[in-house]
Amino acid sequence: MAAEVREAEQIVNVSDSESGQSDFIETEIPGKSNNSLLVASDEFDDISYEELNNGALQAAPMGTINALVKRKVKRQHSIIESDGRQSTVSEDDIANDVENESSEISGDDTQDDNLVLESNLADLSLQESGSLPLEIPSPHLISSTNSETDYVNSIEWKQQKKHIFILSDSGKPIYSRHGSEDKLVTIMGVMQALVSFVADSDKDNLRSIVAGDHRFVFMTRDHLTFVGVTRGKESTQQMLLQLTYMYNQVISVLTLSTLTRIFKSHRNYDLRRTLSGAEKFFDNLLNLMDVEPGLLLSSVRCLPLDSAVRDNISQTIVQYAKVKDLVFALIIAHNQLVAVVRMKKYYLHPMDLHLILNLINASESFKAAESWTPICLPKFDAAGFLQAHVSYLDDECHTCLLLLSVDIEAFYVLSECKAKIQEKLKKYNALAAINNSLRRNSYSIQQCSINDLRHFLYKARSTSQYTSPELEAPYNTKEEQERLFGLYYYLHDRIHTSGRPLKILFHVGPYETLLGWVTPGFELFAVFGPLVTKITAIHAVNKLLRWIKKEEDRLFILSSVTF
Amino acid sequence: MSGGKVDIKVVLLGKAYAGKTSLVERYIHNRFLGETVPYQNTIGAAFGAKTVTVNNKNVIIGIWDTAGSERYEAMSKIYYRGAKAAVVCYDLTEKASFDRARFWIGELQKHEEGCRIYLCGTKYDIVEENPALRSVDEKEAKALALDVRGEVYVTSSKTGKDIEKIFINIASDYMASKAAAAQKEDDEEIVKLRRSSKKSNCPACKS
Repeated sequence: MAAEVREAEQIVNVSDSESGQSDFIETEIPGKSNNSLLVASDEFDDISYEELNNGALQAAPMGTINALVKRKVKRQHSIIESDGRQSTVSEDDIANDVENESSEISGDDTQDDNLVLESNLADLSLQESGSLPLEIPSPHLISSTNSETDYVNSIEWKQQKKHIFILSDSGKPIYSRHGSEDKLVTIMGVMQALVSFVADSDKDNLRSIVAGDHRFVFMTRDHLTFVGVTRGKESTQQMLLQLTYMYNQVISVLTLSTLTRIFKSHRNYDLRRTLSGAEKFFDNLLNLMDVEPGLLLSSVRCLPLDSAVRDNISQTIVQYAKVKDLVFALIIAHNQLVAVVRMKKYYLHPMDLHLILNLINASESFKAAESWTPICLPKFDAAGFLQAHVSYLDDECHTCLLLLSVDIEAFYVLSECKAKIQEKLKKYNALAAINNSLRRNSYSIQQCSINDLRHFLYKARSTSQYTSPELEAPYNTKEEQERLFGLYYYLHDRIHTSGRPLKILFHVGPYETLLGWVTPGFELFAVFGPLVTKITAIHAVNKLLRWIKKEEDRLFILSSVTF
Repeated sequence: MSGGKVDIKVVLLGKAYAGKTSLVERYIHNRFLGETVPYQNTIGAAFGAKTVTVNNKNVIIGIWDTAGSERYEAMSKIYYRGAKAAVVCYDLTEKASFDRARFWIGELQKHEEGCRIYLCGTKYDIVEENPALRSVDEKEAKALALDVRGEVYVTSSKTGKDIEKIFINIASDYMASKAAAAQKEDDEEIVKLRRSSKKSNCPACKS
């Protein structure tokens, strides 16, 4: 049958008339929840050049933080009124603030409004004070040596599997994944020439070039050009997603308002100056993309925990971090979500959560002491910073608590909250439970007890969370893991190809059989041994869905807790 | 930011890689990781506190270890606002870091007059081993400190040289200025009393 035909492919038809024969049982969707804490306002299918060009993606959310700050100002205002005896000066100040705000409501596109917004958020934004000094002592310039020049000309550099470059409108190098971007001025100049040639000649946008086994993908947004070069299995759209993550990372460090302001006043600006120290976030994000399927799926993995323990943790946060202006409180352990508490009406976008995970993952410095750092979440508000109180709850630095606030002065208050939460979680043995779960390493595919099922990714769409078992033999070497990822890229791309989206795909490859199944409720990508037939595979995924359903309380966060 | 249980707010300022975090690590945890752990730039700012005893009194020093990246420059105001002392660090082996120290001193004078400045040349162990690597002149540092009525320290987080001394001095300077302020307040009160007694005398004289 199908198994004998190597590299054969069948699209299982599940149109209404035939659904009876297809043997797919529509079980209740595992991991489904109407009460979601992560809300993906856009997903993979929305990230395309069409959207990019007609501006749908450009319209980054702005003003969320401003609205929250406004609320804070109003609150202070009312306190003062009730107090009644405040000096007139401060009342005037606040009256001015309120006036400023009313003018902002009209719209946030014009520069005037942006200025007002910035003045109001002066503390929260990275305004360059005064003129920009011209001396540019970039650490790269100092450290670059001849060996780096050699490196970018070497075969080794050319054979890197994936390159990512960021350059400015004027062709100035900003970042390169491999090798020092300083030594790549020429090649970046060529890239800029290609992009601007297409843009100038036909008022068109350069999307991608395929040359041999290399794929070059271009994305231009807000004065920056992102270029991805891969010889892996990623499709153009998947590369575009990765470039979008890179763009989001830039915004997360700078905010969109700062980025646009910088390039508005200095087209030639060397952005590396402002980004210095942030290179590790780009590096780490790219490494994360190679090993973490969550970024491809726009969803996050939760640390498996008994729902009672998880509820206990969330309730502890709610109880001891009930502080005004606290927007999100989350606990993260090894790139997995343990608990999230959010302010009513505000949701975390999975892409933003990935940036938070990356912030924690990329930096060792949080392990030394409690930190207070600005972070912009582009899907939450691209215009301003939230302030993050970051601390580890255990001595081994596995479990990290993040408290995200719009109040820049809240450090000491949040520090006290952290101490209380830490004390209570210790008392309730919740930290021990987290550590136990971390030590047990998620779960083995054996636990699902399905023959010939080797690995799978299951994403619950309504909650933007996914689950997958540990990588075990044969996927226990780096090469095999890369190959497995390639299979997932392939399956994901075939199913989501914008021209011809599929619901189900059964693919027989030389070493394994793949089954992808997408419904409005979930996405499932399963990898079987090579000799599995279509019927067996279908039975297996039905069984798998039942197993996930049974375990859903442990694998997913199904209830959303608010302050 | 002010508040909490902290008595003295101290802020560390200086160019990236000047050794601010190492200095705090040495002071608070009495350890030096520079040789085992690769360099990690600070993100935002990190906070640490330590209690010191000066004149038999316990004083809590809250230390803000700020990020050196220029990106955080505008944000640094929130970290040094209300600080009683600033340890402005520069790398003895890097001229550019001293220029950056000048910049920070300028900022502090402009925005935070009440903040005492402690100029601190770091990585002395390197200079000690090879004096040729020193690129910031001692005289220059002293002159700069004199300008702002601050003090100069030369430290090594690796050996621990003079690290403790800075913070002990910060604490005792703070106590001294606090005592002086209290004294001044007392004096003012005495003046008031006299004045008011005069006033009450006046109508009595007239009558």
